[in-house]
Amino acid sequence: MAFALPVVVFIISLNIGSYPISPRMLFKVILSVFSPSSQPGLPAALKDIVFQIRLPRLLLAVAVGATLSVSGASLQALFKNPLVNEYILGISSGSAFGAAVSLVFLGKGFPPQIVAFVFGIAAVLAVLIIARTSGSHIVALLLTGIIVSAFFSALLALVEFFASPYALQALFYWLMGNMSLATWRDLALSTPLMAVGVILLIMLRWRMNVLSMSDQEAKAMGISVRREKILIIVACTLATAAATAVTGIIGWIGLVVPHLVRMVVGVDNRRVIPLSASLGASFLLAADALARSLASFEIPLGIFTSLIGIPFFLFLLKKSRRVWL
Amino acid sequence: MSVSVRGLSYARGNFRLRIDSLEFESGRLTSIVGPNGAGKTTLLMCLGGLLAVPRNRIFIQGRDIASLKDAERARLVSSVPQEHNPIFNYSVLDFVVMGRAAHLSLFSLPSAEDVRLAEESLAFVGLQSFASRPYFELSSGERRLILIARALAQRADVLLLDEPTSFLDPKHEIEILELTRKLAVERGQTILLTLHNLDMAIKYSDSLVFMKNGGVFASGRPRDILSDALLESVYDVRMKIVDCEGQKLILR
Repeated sequence: MAFALPVVVFIISLNIGSYPISPRMLFKVILSVFSPSSQPGLPAALKDIVFQIRLPRLLLAVAVGATLSVSGASLQALFKNPLVNEYILGISSGSAFGAAVSLVFLGKGFPPQIVAFVFGIAAVLAVLIIARTSGSHIVALLLTGIIVSAFFSALLALVEFFASPYALQALFYWLMGNMSLATWRDLALSTPLMAVGVILLIMLRWRMNVLSMSDQEAKAMGISVRREKILIIVACTLATAAATAVTGIIGWIGLVVPHLVRMVVGVDNRRVIPLSASLGASFLLAADALARSLASFEIPLGIFTSLIGIPFFLFLLKKSRRVWL
Repeated sequence: MSVSVRGLSYARGNFRLRIDSLEFESGRLTSIVGPNGAGKTTLLMCLGGLLAVPRNRIFIQGRDIASLKDAERARLVSSVPQEHNPIFNYSVLDFVVMGRAAHLSLFSLPSAEDVRLAEESLAFVGLQSFASRPYFELSSGERRLILIARALAQRADVLLLDEPTSFLDPKHEIEILELTRKLAVERGQTILLTLHNLDMAIKYSDSLVFMKNGGVFASGRPRDILSDALLESVYDVRMKIVDCEGQKLILR
């Protein structure tokens, strides 16, 4: 049942936007694809809104929502810390910097996912290596993550400084976390990468239970800890870099969604990982629908998710008496 | 021999573990005893494959553990850690079933058979009714038993336990030692544990290994090797062994 949620939210979101389309009209538009002659008099613009604007955008929301939530849940298990996510490990800012470099210096024609992935990996490696030399304590990891993120944010600011005014505007808009510019081309490039990462992580879900024990315990139980950790980090980075390359930084989902899931179903990753995918997709779809319909202008999604995500999270933290960590 | 160690040398910082030769038979319970810092835990970690040791030093059932993959090694030897710091609150059954990891490939989930083996291990430690209890709610004695159950689910012949009775009350201490005894006698497993309580070590062990300064000081059956002089030279404290109602007790 939980997996029907994104489908329902998806269908509702298709109706919502600066140009609301009633379910009846929507049905007609979809029908017109299969038999164009059956729906005479249907405005051509309507078809464009549904198929060229709304559909790619919603599909992207599904993929990005699932990606960020599943990566967050996986990294939390891997680092044995419920506070970790893509952003804290530097993956998001590394990828964002990579994508910005690609957009500004290699042009819009070159897929930004590649450079985003390279710098996403570079950032997380930097975090892990620096944190290890300072004792591999979790505080060291979080601090290093914050420092590396700040470093890449500074580099990003440098890229903005050198960008032409026109590129700067696009860059700025994209960086705030935005899906309004989603096209089928973005989708075709990024979705397969996100899908590979998410599917890999879902397949590794039980392994993550064992990896959430101490490294020594996991090794004693026969896990090749180093190898499997690298595999999971690469999968998370691949998916997150692909997401960041098209939507910019959308924060908090990787932290909020897995926690919500754990509050309801417990900590077993066999359930947490797939349900995070489903809830994450629904969450981002709903957030995007609200972001484009609440005000007369469109609120950038990254800002919007933080604005709802943080208070919502604090509310739950305070309200929930159950121990779920 | 179930476990043999030959010419093992392992250094970490200023500490050096050096063992010329040591063998453990299956169906036997051996206690490794000695003062703090003697290298008991390091030896156990080397045997469990948790520290990188050179090749041809440690053999478990004739196989060199340095040349085995993690999963292969974990099917031969399981380790019970002294303590588990829980971060995520798994249910007891979810926790115990993790012991099956060595038998499962990277992408697979535990099957009904794996769950059955986990339940059987839980029953062996007497906590079958705890399956759905959250780990956080367990007492430290119960947690130790669950850790043992997880290692049992691994189905390895050699079981290593690092101070399994530290900080436990006498009831739980006896319960855990009886349990390890049963594993050796009934299942024919090779049981190695580190202990500080000498009275208990003497009572429950088939053989004792006394360690000091990273090496083996003496080893053998308790009645063959025990003497006041040995204890004094190992621990640098005057001790006296007395017989009391058929049991050996140590006065210090």
